[in-house]
Amino acid sequence: MLADFQQALADLTASPELCIRVRQDPSILHDIYQLTEREQGRLTGIVKHPGMQCACTIYRANRLAPLVMNVPKTCRALGTDLRGVLSEFWAAYPESNVHFFIETERFCRFLKAKLAEGRTFAPGLARVFARENAIITAALEESFTEGCPTAAQ
Amino acid sequence: MTQNRPAVGLLYNPATPDLIAHAPELVEYIAVMPDRLWFDFGPRAAGRRFHRTLGAMETVRHCANGRMLAGHGLGMSLPSAIPLDEVFLQAVADMSADLGGFQWYSEHLSVFLAPRGSVPNAQAGLGLPLAYDEETFEIIRGKLERLKVALGCPLLLENGSFFTPVPDMDMTEPEFLNRLHAEGFCDTLLDLHNLYVGWRNGGPEPSAYMEELDPNAVVEIHLGGGDDFAGFYMDSHSNLTPPEVWGYAFDYVRRFKRLRAITFEFQETYYERIGVDALVGELNRMHDLAACCHFESNALHAG
Repeated sequence: MLADFQQALADLTASPELCIRVRQDPSILHDIYQLTEREQGRLTGIVKHPGMQCACTIYRANRLAPLVMNVPKTCRALGTDLRGVLSEFWAAYPESNVHFFIETERFCRFLKAKLAEGRTFAPGLARVFARENAIITAALEESFTEGCPTAAQ
Repeated sequence: MTQNRPAVGLLYNPATPDLIAHAPELVEYIAVMPDRLWFDFGPRAAGRRFHRTLGAMETVRHCANGRMLAGHGLGMSLPSAIPLDEVFLQAVADMSADLGGFQWYSEHLSVFLAPRGSVPNAQAGLGLPLAYDEETFEIIRGKLERLKVALGCPLLLENGSFFTPVPDMDMTEPEFLNRLHAEGFCDTLLDLHNLYVGWRNGGPEPSAYMEELDPNAVVEIHLGGGDDFAGFYMDSHSNLTPPEVWGYAFDYVRRFKRLRAITFEFQETYYERIGVDALVGELNRMHDLAACCHFESNALHAG
C-alpha cells in the first residue's frame, strides 16, 4: 500500500543501516511494511541507486541544521562526541520537528539528561551549553508570543 | 499588473528586504512561504497551533507593497498518502487574506510528510520522490480540488530535485504535470535548477524533460544555484544560477506563453557570500530573460 511505500522510503532515507540490510535481503521489507510486489521492486531499485547515499547524507545534514544554527558552540564543544550523541538523540527521536526551536530544545533536554546521568564530555561543554540552553529556552518561549522579530526556519 | 511580460522576483527570505533596498525597481514580484512566517507547534499542540512571527509579517507586507505576491509552500506535502492537513490549509488561507490575497499558490511535487512523521527539510532540501501512477494522481487531484476551494486562487505544482529515481512508473514527471494541467487541476512551476540538479546526479536531460512538458502549463519558473558535495550536486540555493541553467532558460522561455513570473531563490545564509552586486546582476539578467517573452493570455486555472 502507498502509505507503507512512502513510510519505507522515509525510513530508508533516515537509516543507511536499513539500506544496507535491504540491499542484502530485499525480502525484509515485507517483514516491516505492507507492500505490493511493484512497491517492493521500486524500493529495491531505489536503495541500489547510487543517489541513495546522497539522500541519506542530506537527511542527516537537515536534522543537524537546526542544532548547528541554534546551539553552535555546544556542537563544537562536543567535538568527537557529537556524532555519537546525535545518533543516540535521533534514535530516541526518530521524527524531526519542523519547529527549529522545539527540535533544538528537545536536543538540549536530551543532552542535559546525559550530563545529569554523569556522562563526561569535553571540558568547557557545560559552560557553553548552559548559556545556549538558556537562549534557546527563551527563544522558544518568545515564539509563543508572536513577538519574534525574524522569520521562522 | 498591466505589463505583458512575466514579472521578475524573489522567493522571500530575511535577506530580501536588504536586497530590495539596493534595487527596488528590479523586484516586481515576491513569493512568500507561509511555513517560514509562523512557528508550527504541531497538530498535538496545547492551545493554538500556529504562532506567526509578527515582525516578519510586517516586513513582508512592506516589501509586497506595489508588487505581485504569491504563496509558495512546503508543508502540505500533497502527494503523501495521508489526509490533507485542514488546519494548516486554513492557516495558509488566513495568511493569504491578511496579506491581501495570493495571486497564486504553489506547492512541491515531493513527499515531505511520511505517514508516521515529517522528513526534515532544511537548507539542502530533501523531498522524497513519488511514483507517478494513477493512485498518486488521485491523491493529488483530490487535495488540489480542496485547495482551490479554500484558497480561491490558481494553483501550481513544482517539479522536485531528486537523487533517486523511482523505477517502474506509469507516467513520467512531465506527463504527470501535463495531465494535471490538461484536466484543469493546476499549472506548473518549472524549477529549471531542479532539472539541472537531477541531470547532474544522473537524471534525465533537462532539454528532453522540457520537450515533453506542455509549455502552456508553465506559469512560473524558478532559477537558483547549488554546489557540489560528496560527488553530488546539491540544490542548496547557495549560488547564482549556473550558465547551463541560463542556457535552458533563454532557449525555452519563449515557449511559455502563459509565464507570469521568473523567480530567483537563494538561501539567506549565503547572502553575503553571493554578494549584493552579484544578486543585482542576476536580477538584471532575469529582466533580459523576461523581455524575451510576451503573455498570450492571463487565464490561469482559478477553480
